[in-house]
Amino acid sequence: MAVDIPLMGFLAGLAIATALAVRAKSREGEVGTISMLDSGLAFSFVGLLSSGWTYAIHNSILDSGDTTMCASEGLLQCGSVIGDPDWNNLFGIPWGITGLLSFSLLFFLFLSLRMDMHAKWADSFTTYSLLAGLAGVPFVAFLVFVELTQVEGAPHICPFCTIAHLSLIGFLVVAYLVRERKQSGMWA
Amino acid sequence: MARRRRVAAPKGRDDEVRLTAALVTFALTSMILMAVMLLAPVVKVGPSEGELAPDFSAQSYRGGAWVDFRLSDLFNKSWEPGGDGDWIVVQYIDTDCPYCWSEGELMSQLHSQWGDEVTFVTIVVELGIQGHESNREEVEAFRDKTPFDGCKTNSNCADRPGEPHPWDYVDDLNEKTTGDWEIPGTPFTALLQPDGIVAWNPLQHESDGEDIEAAMQRLVGGS
Repeated sequence: MAVDIPLMGFLAGLAIATALAVRAKSREGEVGTISMLDSGLAFSFVGLLSSGWTYAIHNSILDSGDTTMCASEGLLQCGSVIGDPDWNNLFGIPWGITGLLSFSLLFFLFLSLRMDMHAKWADSFTTYSLLAGLAGVPFVAFLVFVELTQVEGAPHICPFCTIAHLSLIGFLVVAYLVRERKQSGMWA
Repeated sequence: MARRRRVAAPKGRDDEVRLTAALVTFALTSMILMAVMLLAPVVKVGPSEGELAPDFSAQSYRGGAWVDFRLSDLFNKSWEPGGDGDWIVVQYIDTDCPYCWSEGELMSQLHSQWGDEVTFVTIVVELGIQGHESNREEVEAFRDKTPFDGCKTNSNCADRPGEPHPWDYVDDLNEKTTGDWEIPGTPFTALLQPDGIVAWNPLQHESDGEDIEAAMQRLVGGS
């Protein structure tokens, strides 16, 4: 089986983000908080890139009916998921674009915190980050349901979509831990 | 007596970092989008000429049975102008619409003339008009010209003008596709290139008066 280099890259990104979160958990004070924020930024960055990648696959399938950017047959494939006209968009907007916009928001919230963690609005931004992450969960659940039951020839799992889903879940966990730090006085 | 000094909590920076963060995020997202455009340019999807026809999947009646149908399965993406490949006529009808009833004959004529090089697809919708209730039995009878009371509201489907239509009749009675196709009413007939690009849309020829037959003559060629 050929090694999918982009997929390996995304998995490495998730691993780095997770390692940052684990390391941050054992550190106290400002250093730990910064590391935790870096982890959230890494998760949202991987989410941004994987959303962009799925959007490229979407365009590629529309253009040529197929794609070389992801397998088109088997359980792990994108063709039947991103190429399914009934399920590959949200009110006409490709899911890749929805992901890009959503992860942009998450990235912005954490980047703001990272740039000035002592700002007056830092407390509310930790709450917004958690709420924004939570808002994505129903969409992830819906998309996993669609992959497993609704698309042509289901079940299928789109690996790059799954990277985006894992990025959101990782971000959500980090956003929760960040908020906990803020509220328990371990922030700085 | 020694005075105790209060330890001040760290203060935020004076500058507004949120604007900087927003600009950085915008720049990053834009760069990712630009990379996507270079990797796989956006394909304009829509019913206008030059756009990729909106795809859909549904059940179609092919005579005898209802089968899975997907419009893009008909596309030949490697088609080049002048090359081999079936053009596609997409017709939207409502089995209760009197104009669709009459157009049955035109469609039979077009099929007998171009059936070898053009694939015909009829998509059946149910317009929200009183008396326009349809079902699959009526769709089958309309296509096959078999006895069934209800076509054109209260006519027998066997009396429809034209011959039985030996092509796919797609069930879109729930009007799932009409939004993407921007269907103003029925009948609506468009012509697609073999690669799925819309070659002729009647709404873009209201001023020059070109009809589907003339368009096929011009684009597909004499048969």
